Amino acid sequence: MGRWLREYSLMLKWQMLSNKPMLPLYLVVEALVAVGFVVGIGYLIPDINSQSAMYLITGAPVLILLMIGLVMVPQMVSLARKAGTFDYIWSLPVPRSCFLAADTTVWIVITVPGVILALLIGSWHYSFSLNVSPFVVPVFLLVTLTGISIGYAMSHAVPKPELTMLVSQVLVFFILIFSPIHYPIEQLPGWLASTHRVLPFTYMADLMRGYLTGKPPVDAGLAFAVVGTWCVLASGITFFAVKRRR
Amino acid sequence: MLLEIEDISKVYRKGIRANDGVSLSVGAGEVFGLLGPNGAGKTTLVNQIMGLLKPTSGTIRIDGTDVIADPGFARQACSLQAQVQVPIEGLTILQAIELAGRVRGGRKAEVLARARELVDNLDIGEWANKRGDTLSGGVLRLASFCMAAVVPGRVVILDEPTNDVDPLRRRLLWQEVRALKESGSAVLLITHNVLEAERAVDRLAIIDMGKVLGQGTPASLKEHEAGFMRLELVFEPMAKIPAPPEFINKAIDLGSRSIGIVSAQDVCGAIDWASELRESGIVEEFTLGPSSLEDAYIRLIGREEAIDPGTEGAQ
Repeated sequence: MGRWLREYSLMLKWQMLSNKPMLPLYLVVEALVAVGFVVGIGYLIPDINSQSAMYLITGAPVLILLMIGLVMVPQMVSLARKAGTFDYIWSLPVPRSCFLAADTTVWIVITVPGVILALLIGSWHYSFSLNVSPFVVPVFLLVTLTGISIGYAMSHAVPKPELTMLVSQVLVFFILIFSPIHYPIEQLPGWLASTHRVLPFTYMADLMRGYLTGKPPVDAGLAFAVVGTWCVLASGITFFAVKRRR
Repeated sequence: MLLEIEDISKVYRKGIRANDGVSLSVGAGEVFGLLGPNGAGKTTLVNQIMGLLKPTSGTIRIDGTDVIADPGFARQACSLQAQVQVPIEGLTILQAIELAGRVRGGRKAEVLARARELVDNLDIGEWANKRGDTLSGGVLRLASFCMAAVVPGRVVILDEPTNDVDPLRRRLLWQEVRALKESGSAVLLITHNVLEAERAVDRLAIIDMGKVLGQGTPASLKEHEAGFMRLELVFEPMAKIPAPPEFINKAIDLGSRSIGIVSAQDVCGAIDWASELRESGIVEEFTLGPSSLEDAYIRLIGREEAIDPGTEGAQ
């Protein structure tokens, strides 16, 4: 374990330094996305009340985290695959899990400020107060890990990098429009609602919203179990894909 | 032998045979060259040694350990300068070398001292604290070499180490390759630059279309060319290139240059022919010299595109 941690810290340093030129830009873009989301809600629903605004804004962290996992990660991995970067990375004498963990850590660092900013500005702008539970931290980590794992699984398991981008676009459209993150699941037609009972997105939103507003979901155990299963499944596919020798 | 490759074949799903019964071995303290044109299957072989690709058949052993069964052992035992550029966009050269050395298990102080030594020896000190994304391809190649050499593996694999590197620093790089060899590493050098390889390697194999066509010392591979001379002509721009006389064998056209093989008894005729072309303004200059490893390479590969005009004569 000590050796794994040492190698993880070296890969983390490598990844942080590698991303250093772009890191400020990523942070600014993430902050702008967060602020844009808060302001945009006001344009979408001009007379929105505090209650509805709180519902929408407490769903924003899940959306932001999923965008990182399902858009940014596949884009970066596709570029790296095309450039042959992984042929070098995977030839280093460190476990591949070290690199994946280090990369995930960098994405978390990039995402956290934007998420906090969205919540702070949203609650101030729409005059509602949050009741944040410590459980938000594990929920945040679980949602981030699951999103990034799905992104990695897609990027490494889909044979062609170009195809990954296409799958990513379709998935993002599905999540934005057809996932009950910003509206209750009851508003979906029966078959789509049933589909979302086995997908992680609605449970992610329920957990995040619940622990941000002091009203944990009644079926929190089920929500953790479903999201956790997706996290394990996607991580498993990723590990299988990166360990597989062609 | 430290690295033993026996009868390795790699057939991709679509039936493409990238390696076909490749066997070679590299001992500690030896530089072994793997020469071949683009697409010959050289990097495929490297990727199998490093455990990135799984061979269809055959065995690869490092110090007696089957690394097809234990690819982790290969990554511990081998340090690789990959053909692709290293991902060091945001890192300075010194940071990249230090991290590569520490990932390979080196201690910080020792790794830093060795990194500075390599940077000085390769004369890249002026870029030592510059970020990777601001550097030229040649400097990145040298940085990539340093990352493989800072804490060298028992086997060091260098895949096209001199690509894009200027002639002066190429010489410095070859000195470092020799230093690696003298320190006891087995060096597997992958290249399509025959002239450089002839000077740098102890033994070599020539590979094309996945097969080893010949292997041995540079001298043993050139034996077949004994008694022959090589005539090289540089044509004037826009000159109409004449057909070579019959006594010039295996004439190959490299754009503004031609290379041909001449037997000892035809040397005088060849000089007369070349002199006439020079006087008539077709040839700018010509040289006649002993045949080289490149001629053996052309003979074995048997096709003109095997020579890369870009790297030909780089020294």
